[in-house]
Amino acid sequence: MKWTTLIGLILALPAHETPAGVAFVHQHSPTTQKYLIETMGGGVALLDYNNDKRLDLFFVNGGKLNDPQTLPADYARTDPQYWNRLYRQNPDGSFTDVTAEAGLSKAGNNYGMGVAVGDYDNDGFPDLYVTNFGSNVLYRNNGDGTFTDVTSEAGVAAGGWSVSAGFLDYDNDGRLDLFVSRYLDWNFDRNVLCGTPFHTYCPPTRYQGTANVLFHNEGNGRFRDVSVLSGIASVKGKGMGVAFNDYDGDGFADIFVSNDGMEQYLFRNRGDGRFEELALEAGVAFADDGKSFSGMGVSFADYDNDGRPDIAVTNLALEKYALYRNEGSRFSYASLRTGLAGVAARSSGWGVGLYDFDNDGWKDLFVAQSHALDNVERVHSGLRYRERPALYRYADGRFERFDIAKMPPVAGRGAAFGDINNDGAIDSVIAVLGGQPLVYFNRPNANHWLILELVGRRSNRSGIGATVRVGNQWAYTTTTGSYLSASDSRVHFGLGKESRVTVEILWPSRKRQTVRDVAANQILTVEEPE
Amino acid sequence: MIAVLLLSLALQVSPELRERVEAGLKAKAAGDLDRAIREFTRVVELAPALPAAHVNLGAVYFEKKDYSAAIPPLRKALELNADLPAAHQMLGAALLSQGFAMEAIPHLEKVQSDDLLGVALLEAGRVRESVDHLEAALQKRPNDPDLLYYLARAHELLSRQLHRRLQSEHADSARAEQLQGETLAASGDYSAAQKHFRAALEKRPDLRGVHHALGELLLESGDYERAEAEFRAEARLTPGSAVTAYKLGVTLLHRGILQEAISELKRSNTLQPGMPETELELGRALHAAGEAEAAEHWLRKALQHESSGSLAASAHFLLAEIYRKQGRVAEADQEMKLFQRQRK
Repeated sequence: MKWTTLIGLILALPAHETPAGVAFVHQHSPTTQKYLIETMGGGVALLDYNNDKRLDLFFVNGGKLNDPQTLPADYARTDPQYWNRLYRQNPDGSFTDVTAEAGLSKAGNNYGMGVAVGDYDNDGFPDLYVTNFGSNVLYRNNGDGTFTDVTSEAGVAAGGWSVSAGFLDYDNDGRLDLFVSRYLDWNFDRNVLCGTPFHTYCPPTRYQGTANVLFHNEGNGRFRDVSVLSGIASVKGKGMGVAFNDYDGDGFADIFVSNDGMEQYLFRNRGDGRFEELALEAGVAFADDGKSFSGMGVSFADYDNDGRPDIAVTNLALEKYALYRNEGSRFSYASLRTGLAGVAARSSGWGVGLYDFDNDGWKDLFVAQSHALDNVERVHSGLRYRERPALYRYADGRFERFDIAKMPPVAGRGAAFGDINNDGAIDSVIAVLGGQPLVYFNRPNANHWLILELVGRRSNRSGIGATVRVGNQWAYTTTTGSYLSASDSRVHFGLGKESRVTVEILWPSRKRQTVRDVAANQILTVEEPE
Repeated sequence: MIAVLLLSLALQVSPELRERVEAGLKAKAAGDLDRAIREFTRVVELAPALPAAHVNLGAVYFEKKDYSAAIPPLRKALELNADLPAAHQMLGAALLSQGFAMEAIPHLEKVQSDDLLGVALLEAGRVRESVDHLEAALQKRPNDPDLLYYLARAHELLSRQLHRRLQSEHADSARAEQLQGETLAASGDYSAAQKHFRAALEKRPDLRGVHHALGELLLESGDYERAEAEFRAEARLTPGSAVTAYKLGVTLLHRGILQEAISELKRSNTLQPGMPETELELGRALHAAGEAEAAEHWLRKALQHESSGSLAASAHFLLAEIYRKQGRVAEADQEMKLFQRQRK
């Protein structure tokens, strides 16, 4: 690491700021029963719900729990302190709580987890899907600043314990489908107390896993559960994060699901409506020594600029964040040789994103961190429950860690990424379990950048699933990844010293588009050719 | 046996005595210990000055495991005749079983019963002496779990005594700090342990083992950069330590410093060949470095030395990865099957 680079990076990543108007406090209601749901929540989304070109914030809240919980459970979600919250960004960068006026104060009687964002009805306005322990909720964006709960007619309640979710067009029919990762077959009346002489949250090995869910968008406001038909439900897992990308370059979105305490899942899209789980064959099921780990968040992106999407999975301290390099037909475990294992070993990660934070043309890894056990210090005095989020900067084939200055140690969970203030530098929002979120405004440096907003015509309206190439960099258009969270749907590139570039887009419709001589440092809208 | 013989001599003078003794012996042989007790109690009444009478009564109580009842007649017998080894043996054992270890010792010393004497000495706090007797007993009965337990306890107590002595008589010494660090590390208090290890090194920078212990703590906490520094320092002090070379190699592997990791792991293997852990990590490091053939060689060696368990599972998994990358599909599938089998 050169001193000049280090200084530049420090300047580019200032201390966090809580934007004016964001007063959200996540309620997870910890109990002495150590219900597992208490430690798993905290979803966040960055989306432009009103199409004013400014990213807004949506936070998923937990709910009220009794100690012990009485059944049937009442999570008190009608009490404003347990609402999910939508904050609209104002022109001056402050935020206004618009939850009630947007019609999002009714969360249903459930315990909140995560959020997915996607324009499932192709009306140009992003819709919200909130995952819960209990029934999930789909809010259709009415385009006038309000949302309507359409869960019932859409048929996407799912049930059980949903965690992360994401919209993708798995069959390239121009309509966004919906994938939901689900965690454990757990309920209050089957809760196990673990640990002696003091209780800790139980490891997932104490419970059975469950199947993930795939909904096909039928195009009339309705979805069809194709979990069994597609092969997604052929395996049960302990799903946490989910991310999409076309890892084998066949033009169809594949699905990676991080599982907790067991092998990871890679669902290869066969292109005929069916998926096959082949993480083991592809080399992404375990760590290099065949050990399983506590898969939490996931990012599915090309970190080494070779045109093939790679996979980063966060996990618990001492397990070492897993980085799988896509080598064409399969992946290889790259955590050791890139140094990521060494610099991240003491940390536990949840929300994660591979983005170019310093616009040098290489993606870096940002992780929201914290252990799952709120009393981990009593179990292992060398570990910490609350941790600072960290940036693992990628340069010269290796990752270097930066604990961002003045960040407080928190119980980080979900993390969403995007350029909140449209200055060309990727910002991040971290949902904090039982606390206020952290919003980090990344300051631009001298490097150039480009942000693309895709508008699909034959493809889905928001261009989800499009692969974009700029120079030797590739990006996949998606809002899905991280943990419990949804990120800016726009595609960001750091350009280093390049001031003009050529943009190549492969749309989900298979249409190829090239836009030449594009000036750097702008947010460019690109429409799919008819 | 002697008591019975002496009793037989006495029977010449009393027909009832003879009858009672025979009845008692018969009942004892038939396992009717209560009747034997009745008969021998009567024998004691008829011949109270006869040591053998008391021995026989004590022996039946002893056989009945009623040790508290066995003690008085055996004591009486030895009052009458101190030269009765069987009585000493039984009295020593009975006293020991009742917790009277100090009182048991002279009786057990008389008959040189290493096992019981070892236990008695241990329970009386004469730990160092107990170790010799228990070791001698273990030589004769090497698979006796009771002996193994007592010997382990004796060593532990001895160790504690020595620790206390070190802490009290040499509290400011580097060794006292080292010991305190080790104790805290064993209890899981890593941060306190580190302080004591650092204090030990301040007092004696060349103290062997301390850098290694610090390295272990840091390695287990995932602080690989600092662990590496400690293992390097230890390796300078003890270049012949295979385990330090191994740990340094593993730490370097975790840090992604692959060529140096391979070099240290090879050095460890030279110092102490045939360790499957070293061979596995060598295979792992070589695999990460893209040296597939060499990795395969070391993974095969690891499997030769340890063919089952989690180490073997890891070796099979790595071999499967190597073969799959090389397009050796059938071999990869076979290794993956073996991996799955070992995982279960």
